[in-house]
Amino acid sequence: MISFTINDREVTGQEGWTILEVAKWHGIDIPTLCYHGAVEPYGACRLCVVEVDDGQQRRLVASCLHPVQEGLKVQTDSERVKNVRRWILQMMVDEHPGSQRIKELAKSYGVKESRFKSDRVEDLCILCGLCVRACDEVVGARAISLGNRGVRKEVATTHRLPSPECVACGTCLYVCPTGAMEQLFDRIRG
Amino acid sequence: MKNNEAKIGVFLCECGGKISSRIDLPAVGELLKYEPWAHLEISPYPCLAPGLEAMQAKVQEKGLNRILVGGCSSRVMKKKFAAALAPVGIHEYQVEMVNLKDHVAAVHEDSPQKLARKAAALLAGGMAGLRLLEPYEPVSVPFQGPVLIMGGGISGFAAARELARKGMESRLFSPARDPGQVLAQLPRTFPGSQLFSKELTELLREVFTSPLVKVLPDLPVEYVVGHVGDYRLGLRQSDGTVTEVTGSALILALDREFVPGDYEYIGGGERVCDLLEMEERLAQGEIEAGKVVFWVNSPEHGKAAQQFNAVAAWRNSLVLARNHPRVKPTVLYPANITLPLSGADLAEARGCGIALQSYAPEVHPVVQSGYLTYFSPQDHLEHELEWDNLVVSMVPGEPAAKTQELLRWLPVYSENGGRLRKTQLKLKPDQVADETIFLTGSAGELKDLNEVLRQGKKAAQGVLHLQEKAKRGALVSPVVVTIDQDLCEGCGLCTEICPCGGVEHVKPGSGPVPRHADSHLCSGGGTCAATCPYEAVKMLNNTAQQLEARLKAVLSRMQENEALGFICSWGGLGAADLAGVKGLSYPRGVYLIPVNCLGSIDPAIFSMAFVNGANSILLGGCTPTASCHYVYGVDHSWVRVNIMKKLLSLAGLERRRITMGYVDVNQPEAFVRMVESHLDGMHKLAPINRDEKTKTKLWAIHATLHRPRVRWVLGTSLRRPTEKEFPGEQVNAVDADETMLDVLREEFLASRILKAIHDQPLNPPQIAQSMDEPVKTITPMLTDMAKEGRVTIKSWEGGYPLYATGKP
Repeated sequence: MISFTINDREVTGQEGWTILEVAKWHGIDIPTLCYHGAVEPYGACRLCVVEVDDGQQRRLVASCLHPVQEGLKVQTDSERVKNVRRWILQMMVDEHPGSQRIKELAKSYGVKESRFKSDRVEDLCILCGLCVRACDEVVGARAISLGNRGVRKEVATTHRLPSPECVACGTCLYVCPTGAMEQLFDRIRG
Repeated sequence: MKNNEAKIGVFLCECGGKISSRIDLPAVGELLKYEPWAHLEISPYPCLAPGLEAMQAKVQEKGLNRILVGGCSSRVMKKKFAAALAPVGIHEYQVEMVNLKDHVAAVHEDSPQKLARKAAALLAGGMAGLRLLEPYEPVSVPFQGPVLIMGGGISGFAAARELARKGMESRLFSPARDPGQVLAQLPRTFPGSQLFSKELTELLREVFTSPLVKVLPDLPVEYVVGHVGDYRLGLRQSDGTVTEVTGSALILALDREFVPGDYEYIGGGERVCDLLEMEERLAQGEIEAGKVVFWVNSPEHGKAAQQFNAVAAWRNSLVLARNHPRVKPTVLYPANITLPLSGADLAEARGCGIALQSYAPEVHPVVQSGYLTYFSPQDHLEHELEWDNLVVSMVPGEPAAKTQELLRWLPVYSENGGRLRKTQLKLKPDQVADETIFLTGSAGELKDLNEVLRQGKKAAQGVLHLQEKAKRGALVSPVVVTIDQDLCEGCGLCTEICPCGGVEHVKPGSGPVPRHADSHLCSGGGTCAATCPYEAVKMLNNTAQQLEARLKAVLSRMQENEALGFICSWGGLGAADLAGVKGLSYPRGVYLIPVNCLGSIDPAIFSMAFVNGANSILLGGCTPTASCHYVYGVDHSWVRVNIMKKLLSLAGLERRRITMGYVDVNQPEAFVRMVESHLDGMHKLAPINRDEKTKTKLWAIHATLHRPRVRWVLGTSLRRPTEKEFPGEQVNAVDADETMLDVLREEFLASRILKAIHDQPLNPPQIAQSMDEPVKTITPMLTDMAKEGRVTIKSWEGGYPLYATGKP
């Protein structure tokens, strides 16, 4: 049994559990986009950052990946955390102004679209890889993967052709946090 | 599952308020108070590590053997629960999920108390289904004996070699007796293969001399029966007797022959020939000096065939250039095909002086004496190519003659244009068993020789994988389908309509013997079980009885103005889940029951639902013509819905009480419209007036749908895997439908009569009176039924016979 605190509240966890899981279990809300209970955590969107103090240093970590530690002091809503989330959301809302979910999240942190916002409203994919992981871990079909690198990174099938592995189950549609998969789906399935 | 007594643990998920803010979960617990659960709890997040830990503890503490989670989508989350609970002895089939989030909480705008009622109904249904769960003991299939390689294709030799190298025995059926004969025939299926004759000779010699490969003469196939691990192949000997060869697995190596096209219009005598003829001349070394043009023509046979020819032409020109330095070959190919040559090939072409020239496919080249005029795709100018010998393409012919003999027995179908394909099941990898029948060769898809040889090797590896699994005792299928040998009458309807080949054939002339099912080929679609006239086919833990129990539990908690909804686990369920994710909203009055495939719903389930209080039924599945994951499940269901409509109207009820819809997984909006439209239509109908007479009629509908005669006629009108079109394409749709209607009318009447005399013997006027029908309507039926023994004349009273129920 590992004891630590989240927002000064005494909580316990076990070896291998993550901060996010324990926080959610105790009803402490941490925003996430790339996290889904069905798959392994990935830490792509970084929205779930929390401030941890292990007695030596205070730092920001992705709570979906960070394992619980004895005596850890976790702050899920400190000014530092909020600041980072605002920056992340600022970039997301500018990059993907078409996504309702991101807009709502941004609004709740007081973030508005900036003058640098992208004009491509149809681009909803935040490349969190949730669909790719679900297709692999849940379905087992491995029909999609993340193609290319850097600014050209995209969710794609082999040779960008309709995938023969795709079973058209719609798991990717279900887990997609922004609704981007709706447009991709018909290109993926044969 | 150690004991069969159900100990159900119910876990209701709050989902961080997403469910608990919309559904009054404590009220759900209260409403389920008298249901047979052993443990019920509300958990903030059952799917997260702390929740799973708590669940494991409860399973051990209370000895739970079935888990019902009221949370989100089972398609996404069930695997995680199953994996987490496996260490405490819970298997995936013992976990059931009811999607409270997307089917109730997120999509309805009613009060949390009202939604609690709906949630409780769906959960009660889940529990009723779980109670009837049967233990699933995976039984590994024995796998011994040689592999049977049939069809005579070249890929069979590659498979045999791979098997022999890995120490597995095989029986290869081939008309050839030695490598030379195989090679002599090979250009017919793979023109241009002479280039590889050295390598192929090695391959063939290894096969022919291997002690593990027995090359047997390719005798006519009389039958192929059995299942994975135990196939029996009947071969007709020249004296007419049939001998049997047994084997553990099947590899079908079928190639498609290439035949000369019609090039008489070119003329030119000896100087113009096709690829095959050229190959023969090459073999005999009859080529003189000069310019040889290989012209890839015949665009009408498709690009794949043209590419195939281009490669063949390239290979023949290579043999030419190597052996006859004075010959200048040119390959003229259409610009719209991809020349499947590597950089090394192109370099070699340059080195040997072979010209590779493309022509604009828009203009068909013109043949002149000594010249071939084509338009270049680069400069759009016509160019002339000189030739001394012109070689034209071959065209794909029919698949090997062996094919027709084998198709009769195996789940391989011939598409338009003769292309062979196996049933294409788009299911999740863990839903289907390992591949057990291997189809290789160019008869499936036109592939190059190297690719086809690779296919053979891959098939061999597949067989070895099966063998290895069997050794570990792990050759099991995720689906278990059984046929009750006592109930089965051997009519063979299941064999005929099963798209996966999951029901074994029987030897010709063996008559109506009970069938056996091969779970390894079964997709779990279940249309066979819903069709069987004698209700002998059973899919383990996906039975009509379980569905019935589930429906009864849900129906007993539904109100009169509410509808029952069946959704298939692909289109319907996917769209319904997505409606919740997207936050769409629709009226509360539809209770969604997910089923594997709509085709697995026995028609008697519909009638059972009406008997038990349903006022309307909605079915939402995939698109019948396109996207059914079980090939024809949805349109089989559609036929059953139409039968139900006919029976409803015979009983004086509205046909629209049962409707079918299709919805794509990516169209939750369409799903919402479908539900709304159905509910609108339903609200125009009054609830069924459940007086004695109507109840009797509903009961009679139910009895009618259990009658083998009705089920048989219904089953014969379903689409077969060999049929591409709907049964509506039959010669006369109206006639066929009226035949069906006649049968239904008769059997409905018979069922009503049986119901009338069920409690006490009655005479015809009394029966007629109780049924509210004229006596003359029922007397012919009574006479017939007496002949069949379904009713008996107990005694005579006042000049009238007293009828009682006879044998069932």
